Amino acid sequence: MAGLDGNGPRPVAVAASGLGKDFRLGEHRNLRITARRLLRRRDELAMFRALSGVNLTAYRGESIGLVGTNGSGKSTLLQILAGTVVPTHGMMRVYGRVMPLLAVGQGFHPELTGRENVTLFASSLGIPRQVIESQMDAVTAFAELERHMDTPVKRFSSGMTSRLSFSVAMQFPADIYIFDEVLAVVDGEFQERCLEAIKSLHREGRTVVFVSHHADQVADVCERVVWLENGSVRSEGPTGEILPAYEHAHDVAHD
Amino acid sequence: MNPQQDATLASPALPALVSPVERVIVPTKRRVRVRDLIREAPVIRVLAGRDFKVKYKQSSLGPLWLVFQPLALLAGFFVAFRGLANVSTEGVPYASFALVGLSAWAFFQASLTIGTASVITNSAFVRFTPCPRPAFPVASIIASLPSFAVTAAGAIVVAAASGVLSPRVVLLPLGLVWLVALTAGIVGIVSALAVRYRDIISALPFLLQVGIFLAPVGYSIAQLSPPTRAIVELNPLTGVIEAWRWMMLSGYEVSATPIVISLVETVLLVFAGWWVFSRLETTMADDI
Repeated sequence: MAGLDGNGPRPVAVAASGLGKDFRLGEHRNLRITARRLLRRRDELAMFRALSGVNLTAYRGESIGLVGTNGSGKSTLLQILAGTVVPTHGMMRVYGRVMPLLAVGQGFHPELTGRENVTLFASSLGIPRQVIESQMDAVTAFAELERHMDTPVKRFSSGMTSRLSFSVAMQFPADIYIFDEVLAVVDGEFQERCLEAIKSLHREGRTVVFVSHHADQVADVCERVVWLENGSVRSEGPTGEILPAYEHAHDVAHD
Repeated sequence: MNPQQDATLASPALPALVSPVERVIVPTKRRVRVRDLIREAPVIRVLAGRDFKVKYKQSSLGPLWLVFQPLALLAGFFVAFRGLANVSTEGVPYASFALVGLSAWAFFQASLTIGTASVITNSAFVRFTPCPRPAFPVASIIASLPSFAVTAAGAIVVAAASGVLSPRVVLLPLGLVWLVALTAGIVGIVSALAVRYRDIISALPFLLQVGIFLAPVGYSIAQLSPPTRAIVELNPLTGVIEAWRWMMLSGYEVSATPIVISLVETVLLVFAGWWVFSRLETTMADDI
């Protein structure tokens, strides 16, 4: 049984405790650094704590929004959840398959066709071949690229690439869907459909973790919001409470 | 708030899920396991297919380049080793002699050329997807097998035509396993190190250029002076190439020394390759 929480028998999808990540700052390697090392003048490595002591629980079927300014740790948190980055402190438990859409159009090979890229990208997420084949038409239809799937992606417009990328994420089954600032690159009509699709994932009971700089999108999609600041959770709670507070602080900071 | 939390998550659009698996993410120095490689076979296959396909996309001759490359090298060898240096080949026709060396070399070179940069060229996958990272170098090695197949087939045909094909050629699959293991060890080390130290990318082309002369691809080690021979015998490829010649060419004599050296080096390199790659794998997204 996936972890039970004190608040009631709600199955947990993601639980982080004391999660932290340090990065090294500056250029990691160049001739000057090599020379200083050889001369035994070892520079003290400057570290940057991108995340520190993050405690967070996302329940199954919940839609959570992450808000925070650039550098607040949103993307690092999502990268750890997606399994691309290993944390330096703490622990995170993830229950179920994750569908990470951390960047739109990344991971497509320009020389391969749309169809080949869908197969490649979906396989890289561990999706079995039969599922990829059975969902190919759905991916094509959602992206509205019926006539272009056998064209190399390098001949796609950026909008077509984004639509395909988004469509791949939406049309394969997972328990936890991650969207990191992905709606910024698609045009109005497709953006609306994506928002609808994300909301319908949520209605189907899948867990959604959503990052956007547009407060209205967060308000539209998320029932709960986690506000990150300087790598830590500043506050969390129902969207209606946290989002206005965040927006207020944000506006004040900018005025 | 969540009307549906039961197991019936299936929708018309999305296939049903099996029950969720738990994944625990903690700070670790090493997280990939050897057994993961077997589970990852499907993605390795797709990546290998891509590595092979993109090599010849928008190329009018396509995979025919697989034939031209070893032919050009063979022509060069004829001029340099046969014409100028007049190397002896222990009675084997030079074309057969050189083609065996070239078939091992073609695979090694192709694997290293794609393999060394395999993690870097897949940086989008490394940064944005949980794609298992060992799949990248392994796929590049598999994508290089056609280079071997074409040259080895040529070597066998030429040897048979000149009547020097040995029945020991049935052992060649073992020879291939040996070469693949050796190559995989080296590619594992350099592909992981290249993520941190891009120096490797700069060093590779010239190391390969030097390497073809430090391995008995176009000449025979029997001709070398003892100190030179000792150096060439340290090259892990030397034993493989010598063993391949013994397998494919009748009447070819080999000594045990380079073979034993190469076998030991292969075992060490396979372990080192996995050790280095799995250790650096956890920081690849940070370093790339």
